[in-house]
Amino acid sequence: MIKQSVIENVLEAALSTGGDFSEVFIEDKFANELTLQSGKIEQSISGRDFGIGIRIFSGLQSIYTYTNDFSEEGLLAAAKRAALAIKGGTTGTIQPLKKEIITPIHNIIILPNSVEHARKATIMRQANDIARNYDERISQVKVRYLDEEQHVLIANSEGKFVEDTRIHSRLALQATASEGKEMQTGFYGPGAHAGFEFIENLNLEHYAGEAARIAVTMLHADECPSGKFPVIIDNEFGGVIFHEACGHGLEATAVAKNNSVFANRIGEKVAPDIVTYIDDGTLPNEWGSLNIDDEGEKTRKNILIENGILKGYMIDKFNARRMNAEPTGSSRRQSYRFNPTSRMTNTYIAPGTSTPEEIIAATEYGIYAKYMGGGQVNPSTGDYNFAVMEAYIVKDGKIDRPVRGATLIGNGAKTLQLVDRVSNNLAHGAGMCGSISGSLPVNVGQPMIRVSEMTVGGTKGE
Amino acid sequence: MNIAEYQEKLLDKAIEAGFKEAEVYFERKNSFKCMLYEGQIDSYETSEDGGLSLRGLHNGKMGYAYTEKLDDVSMSFLIDSVKANADVLDENEGIDIFEGSNEYTPYEFYNEELETIGIPEKIELLRLIEQKVRAYDSRIVTLDYCFLQEYSTERSLANSKNLSLSHKENGLVIFLSTVVKEGEELKTGGYLKMTRDFHALNADEIARAAAEEALANLGEKSIPSGKYPIILRSDATASLLSTFMPILSAENAQKDQSLLKGKVGQKVASDTLTLLNAPFHPDALSGASFDGEGVATKEQAIISNGTLQTLLHNRKTAKKEGCETSGHAHKDSYKGTLSIAPQNLYISPGKRSQEELIASVSEGVLISELSGLHSGTNTVSGDFSVAAKGFHIQDGKIVSPVKQMTIAGNFFEFLNDIEESGSELYFLPAGYGSPSLLVKELSVTVE
Repeated sequence: MIKQSVIENVLEAALSTGGDFSEVFIEDKFANELTLQSGKIEQSISGRDFGIGIRIFSGLQSIYTYTNDFSEEGLLAAAKRAALAIKGGTTGTIQPLKKEIITPIHNIIILPNSVEHARKATIMRQANDIARNYDERISQVKVRYLDEEQHVLIANSEGKFVEDTRIHSRLALQATASEGKEMQTGFYGPGAHAGFEFIENLNLEHYAGEAARIAVTMLHADECPSGKFPVIIDNEFGGVIFHEACGHGLEATAVAKNNSVFANRIGEKVAPDIVTYIDDGTLPNEWGSLNIDDEGEKTRKNILIENGILKGYMIDKFNARRMNAEPTGSSRRQSYRFNPTSRMTNTYIAPGTSTPEEIIAATEYGIYAKYMGGGQVNPSTGDYNFAVMEAYIVKDGKIDRPVRGATLIGNGAKTLQLVDRVSNNLAHGAGMCGSISGSLPVNVGQPMIRVSEMTVGGTKGE
Repeated sequence: MNIAEYQEKLLDKAIEAGFKEAEVYFERKNSFKCMLYEGQIDSYETSEDGGLSLRGLHNGKMGYAYTEKLDDVSMSFLIDSVKANADVLDENEGIDIFEGSNEYTPYEFYNEELETIGIPEKIELLRLIEQKVRAYDSRIVTLDYCFLQEYSTERSLANSKNLSLSHKENGLVIFLSTVVKEGEELKTGGYLKMTRDFHALNADEIARAAAEEALANLGEKSIPSGKYPIILRSDATASLLSTFMPILSAENAQKDQSLLKGKVGQKVASDTLTLLNAPFHPDALSGASFDGEGVATKEQAIISNGTLQTLLHNRKTAKKEGCETSGHAHKDSYKGTLSIAPQNLYISPGKRSQEELIASVSEGVLISELSGLHSGTNTVSGDFSVAAKGFHIQDGKIVSPVKQMTIAGNFFEFLNDIEESGSELYFLPAGYGSPSLLVKELSVTVE
């Protein structure tokens, strides 16, 4: 993308004022997004994102600059301008760049850019038809198709020089059901670190059907009661709860400055024995997977909590300095516009031994959260909240009636302690995670679990 | 390559390639951001970036593509992509490139002085603020965010109908999140200050506000869950308003995604609510004199004393309805196609201060912060159920912060339940503004 000699000069210019580490991140990304609404393809966008991020460390100071200027003069000027922020320090040395060849673990079969828009549109129309035909009360269907081909080149003053191509494909389906004055929506958004083959092989009947079914089910759901209940959270995207409740608190971004309830607690029991929590960027073709992270480190399987014991964190190169630890292949950024930091990839709770049927049967009265919406957390306090898209009351060990408007709130560290059942049906769901280094594809996953008590906020009194 | 030259060359090439009409939109941003941690620079960022997009009418349909790499290869990429994107569209509604409005309101969105003040001086101010926050109270543990960001943005729009418009703006934002602890209770409080006038920033005031925002959350108590009269603080209201803005979009109404469809001229809110679009409001940092299609923007009432005056239109939705565009075409950046959004939208303030509103409540809850708005709200149904921070009000006084809560309701009902607007107007950086509101009741669930 840029000549190696230019990169070397930029790395050197970045260290000219006393920095001890410099890094260049070059990104060239092609993306397509098509939108179908009211039965018509009404938007189609293609774009090329291109830019260069230069990072310098000086002890515990991190300097970042980015630009779209790809001329050598422009890049050197940007590096020198950034370097001006450093005063004093010991200048690091530049190791000769050694090109590292990575063996991709995520097999890509059909490059999205080689596929005509018409073929993409055909699949979108099929999804639209399936959702519309599900029920006559489906009044609107929105289908978004997204693909991107991101080429990255990462080089640093330690001699790292590595390139990678990341392919993402996603179909996001939203159905709206209407009846009288009521309007409700259902959503499903499968995605993968894979090419167009992922879209072609998608079980549209399932995904589009589910989006429609959720919308129709919620149309006449009762208002959710509020109060404290046992909550059963289904598998797959249900894992978003632990993404918020403890995933973010296990990122070095929060841990390094002791801004996390999980800081300085390695080896401590933070959850019941049945909870094992893992972040794994190597799962083949999963939405949150990567060959290398955005610092060029190979991704890996990081066990964060094992049988309830806190084992590790997700650590990036910069926070590793503050923590006196090693990076874990967890450094990510949305694009060259972001200074990378530790983030999740595919995070999940390992399967347990109960069956989903047993868990429901063992619940006298509670809430069954079948599909979760999104959520958020304050990593300093661990207080989280998230929305339930499709929920039911469980009564006498059986799924009773659907309820809507449920929000779950609580504290991550406390909720973790209250997990009392983990089933055997692990599955992963695709989502976007927003934090200081931008919005990133991540998987959240889990088998069905039960939390013995959670605060449920709804519109109906207790 | 020079931008003006590139724009011109690209327009020529587009017409050569068979586009009937074409538009080039360019945007460039300079930004500086500094984050402090315990007096030291933790991160320091500068950037200069931008991109350019091409819209073109090909076979009667409008295609779209953008690039951030301005080279010759990108020119062919843009032209080929615009064609491919136009060809796949089903819509052929005869929307064309705009020839321009007769008049544009001149307004200065850029304060030159802000950029003449050196970076060291800005960092020094932030350092002083951080020190003052830390020294403010012994219960202050740390600041988990302490940053200052300054930006300037330029935009230009040029098309084959000889319209050529440009816009320049800048601004500075300081954000502090303070962590406080008393016993085992750990709380945070966020505070944001934005301005175009660096000299208007007062370190003492900012530090006090940031510290108090966090300290006020200590000593939390539980209250019974149930329905309570609510005072929704100005900043929380502004964020709720921004989340539900899509219900005002004519495009959403036309696609059956807004329950305000067909309600123009009807009562949709309580008499006390007046909602204004204000592209030139002095308290807001955003705004512009032309919209995403180049249409002149204007001051206008969207809801007047509870009656819906207009939905937000761009040229396409207006054409569909046989009305004039209201000038609300929106381009998030060169990366997106046209959507619909206001240029500063705010709820008109009332007479009494927030304190006076509180004094009028015998038993209720003051909400100071909402979170989870991106997931706990449904703009189609209007339902919301979101996490909240706030305080218990008894006999006209704040008695204690309340444990983690959720508030739930329906936005359309909420609009009708507004009883009074407070007198202080607060704007979010994105241009949504509100005073505090006294609302009849909402469901409150307390942990």
